[in-house]
Amino acid sequence: MTTQAPVLTTHNLTKRYGGRTAVDGLTMELPRGVVAGFIGPNGAGKTTTMAMLLGLVRPTAGEGTVLGRSLSHPERYVSRVGALLEGPALWPSLTGHENLQVLARLGGHDPRRVPEVLRLVGLADRGGDRFGTYSLGMKQRLGIAAALLGEPELLILDEPTNGLDPAGMSDMRDLISRLAAEDRSVLVSSHLLGELEQVCDWLLIIEQGRLAYAGPAGEFATRSGAELVLFPAEQADLERLATVVANEGLAAERAGDHLVVPLGERDPRLAAATVNRAAANAGLLLAELRIDRPTLESTYLRMIEGEPA
Amino acid sequence: MTISTSASLRATFLAEWTRLTRRRTLWPALIAALVFAAAGAALVLAAAEPAARVPTDGMMPTLEELADPGGGTQVFRSAVAFAGTLLFALLCGVFALEFSRGTYRTMLFAQPRRVPLLVGRLAALLAFAAAGLACAELLMWLVARLLAGSFDVDAGAWISLDGIGSAAADYATVLVWVTGYATFALLLAMLLRSVPLTLAVGIAWAGPFEHLTGDAWSAGKEFFPGLLLEALGQGGTPDVSATRALLTLAAYSAAFLALSATAFARRDVTA
Repeated sequence: MTTQAPVLTTHNLTKRYGGRTAVDGLTMELPRGVVAGFIGPNGAGKTTTMAMLLGLVRPTAGEGTVLGRSLSHPERYVSRVGALLEGPALWPSLTGHENLQVLARLGGHDPRRVPEVLRLVGLADRGGDRFGTYSLGMKQRLGIAAALLGEPELLILDEPTNGLDPAGMSDMRDLISRLAAEDRSVLVSSHLLGELEQVCDWLLIIEQGRLAYAGPAGEFATRSGAELVLFPAEQADLERLATVVANEGLAAERAGDHLVVPLGERDPRLAAATVNRAAANAGLLLAELRIDRPTLESTYLRMIEGEPA
Repeated sequence: MTISTSASLRATFLAEWTRLTRRRTLWPALIAALVFAAAGAALVLAAAEPAARVPTDGMMPTLEELADPGGGTQVFRSAVAFAGTLLFALLCGVFALEFSRGTYRTMLFAQPRRVPLLVGRLAALLAFAAAGLACAELLMWLVARLLAGSFDVDAGAWISLDGIGSAAADYATVLVWVTGYATFALLLAMLLRSVPLTLAVGIAWAGPFEHLTGDAWSAGKEFFPGLLLEALGQGGTPDVSATRALLTLAAYSAAFLALSATAFARRDVTA
């Protein structure tokens, strides 16, 4: 992250379709040079927001900028943005190479870049095949290749891992990481939070068209704190173990045959050692003692379920 | 970096031209032109009869008309005129399919200037049609010349200066006719944004609706675009002269293009 001007901003951005509000006064900023995960439940307004950022959909109200240019003039910035929205939509009777050639000419880019971007997304040897014969994963990759034709400063990718198998997802993750390393900003939406966690250093979370969180991914995932999970060797010792934990100043919650101990701001390893020693001193044998660190997914799920994250 | 309108137009034209002139498009188009030329010429020549035996508003040229200097290319114009509904349906499908397939969305990522995008693509399509029609006219003239003797058509006057003039006039008429259908199809596609809807509304409007209304209200023949296109394809009818049809269609085409551009520029692209 740098101190440069944000790569995109929105202020009270709103989109209504008749009586339904898809995006509701969204105000957010994306710092330059980050890979940002754009997260929200289905219907939260992610795709509509992206469509507004790309000039496909006109905001009902509000304003914003992309690369310092107003959203009301997409022709002033779209050539510096690469995008994949709602899946790759290309001409099925054209080959991958021909599709990219058409799009390169359309955007005024050098068609000689086509082999390079095909290689970048791993389609160099399939560029001569018709798009209609591609698997979904290959189509997604060609969509990314199309987005890269103009050497964009900002990439906006909507569900780029949709329909990909685990190997394809891993490839896509690597590709996004490589693209981000080339001093690009990336805004990527996905339902696969585990995937996003591995590639994103920034998060934008929206719920019902409004911003719920914006900030570093690491801070978000750790805001609910780690937990200790304790399994006594003997079930009958569960109550005693809870008392021992409480004597150490920790609140244990019984969860079936084990205890869960939220650690808040405490150092998880130190807390684990303290509890382990206290249990041993009390003559209690632990069958299992582990630290559960919060993931992006667990923290996010807590947040949207209304629990304090 | 902001790209100028003219650069956007040029880029869009080139992109569409690249798409249309692939070998996989050109070869089938050439074969279709050959088949159309052979079949069209044979059918028009076979259907031609002496003027005394056909009504004055008949759609097919008479043997006497075919013996004129422009007879060779009138075969072309008459054959094309019969393909009007097919051409219109094809154009409706071509324009609306880009919405159904989501390719307008992809194109707008590359070229966000919507009006140049629409106009540049239409210009490329019409340029491609112009080249195709020139080939088809030449092929059909050649086939008709070869077959003329077999159908008792005197083709002696076809190779003359008047013949070349008529060929140019027939070519221009057909090109305007195609442009008229293209802008009409474009407008429907831009308003309806769905292949089945565009086809259904387009064919219903230009087919039964205009014909039935035109039969009941003769003034409709001077105003309905589909009937005017048919009249132009026939080189004029007793109700509408070719010149009047041409001028009215030119105005319609300009209006259709303006409306299409406005609809495309103002509406959200969500597909």
